[in-house]
Amino acid sequence: MKFQFEVKPSLCTGCRTCELACAFSHTRDKKPGRSRIYPIAYAPDKFVPVACLQCDDAACVKSCMFGALKRNETTGAIDLDRERCVKCMACVAACPFGCALVDEGHDNEIVKCDLCGGDPACAHFCPTKALVYKKIG
Amino acid sequence: MVNITINGKVVRATEGEMLLDVIRREGINIPTLCQHDALEPAGNCRLCMVEITRTEWDGWKKYVTSCLYPVEEGLIVSTHTSELHEIRKTILDLLLANSPHSDVLQKMAEEYGLHKTSYEPNLEGDNCIMCYACTRICEVLGKSAISPVMRGHEKVIAPPFGEEPPDCIGCLACAHICPTNVITWTDENLTRTIWKKKFELIACEKCGKATISRDFAEYLIEKRGLPKEYFNTCDDCKRVELAQKMGALVDKAKEVAL
Repeated sequence: MKFQFEVKPSLCTGCRTCELACAFSHTRDKKPGRSRIYPIAYAPDKFVPVACLQCDDAACVKSCMFGALKRNETTGAIDLDRERCVKCMACVAACPFGCALVDEGHDNEIVKCDLCGGDPACAHFCPTKALVYKKIG
Repeated sequence: MVNITINGKVVRATEGEMLLDVIRREGINIPTLCQHDALEPAGNCRLCMVEITRTEWDGWKKYVTSCLYPVEEGLIVSTHTSELHEIRKTILDLLLANSPHSDVLQKMAEEYGLHKTSYEPNLEGDNCIMCYACTRICEVLGKSAISPVMRGHEKVIAPPFGEEPPDCIGCLACAHICPTNVITWTDENLTRTIWKKKFELIACEKCGKATISRDFAEYLIEKRGLPKEYFNTCDDCKRVELAQKMGALVDKAKEVAL
């Protein structure tokens, strides 16, 4: 079964609930700045949530010289193995969409969307359903 | 698959796996300094020492570095005995004698009830414990810009001839992996200095934020076949760019629908 994010920017109000849900589910910290997903205004009052696209031929995986980024075959996400990461920032610089992030102020750890192990918290909490994680095909 | 006993619990492990990996997977905490998943195990810090025995050994036991010991059928492992506590305490005592100012070692020693070294401390020690994590990670990267030089107590980790290392690309892997934070670097505006070598940091085309060093980016481009333009902008600007692209697609779809 394949799942995919369905993003409807017309419904996104930029309320940043997804950010909070993401930050809290990953870090148990209530700071939206620690999120892996960000609603970004592409025009005045028009928002689109941006997170890792889990590319097929991912630049981050290629850029990691230490094999810390690997595709999780069950969830389809590219997972970061924190034990292998040396925080060289190669993936942060290489990702063409800027979705490998640095958790500044927290030991500069690299963070990226891992699809919450197959059940993304952000989609659950989106109040307008602008972000839905659904089955495809 | 092999069956081993860890602290009285029978555990299944894959052949060829190292003891430390199995122990950690069982959620048992063993202190280590030189261990990192990106590196091949080396057994340099000696802290991951465990006690092994077998039923046919008739009470005989052995102390081994678990990071280097492959699992064997019928192995009986103990990770926290009073002897091991003493062994780890002695290792930390010795490490602390050579690096009395290291915060990391001090903190670890405190856990073993050691407030200061019982040996003559080397007050000029530079906190390096010679675990070679830095040289090993540089090797994994494919550069080997630094290496141990000299012998015995004179041994230091240094670039060739103590000069600017020609192979260094300023990725900071050595500095980040160092367990005792000995390797220092400075980032000033767009210049990074490490191992006395200066590197130019790539400035984001849009906002000017410094990203990785140009040499490192060029190495990745060459080694991993990444397009050059990926490295021109910083992650913040790339995210905005992605949002704008997605927004443009939405607006276009709307126009078509109308």
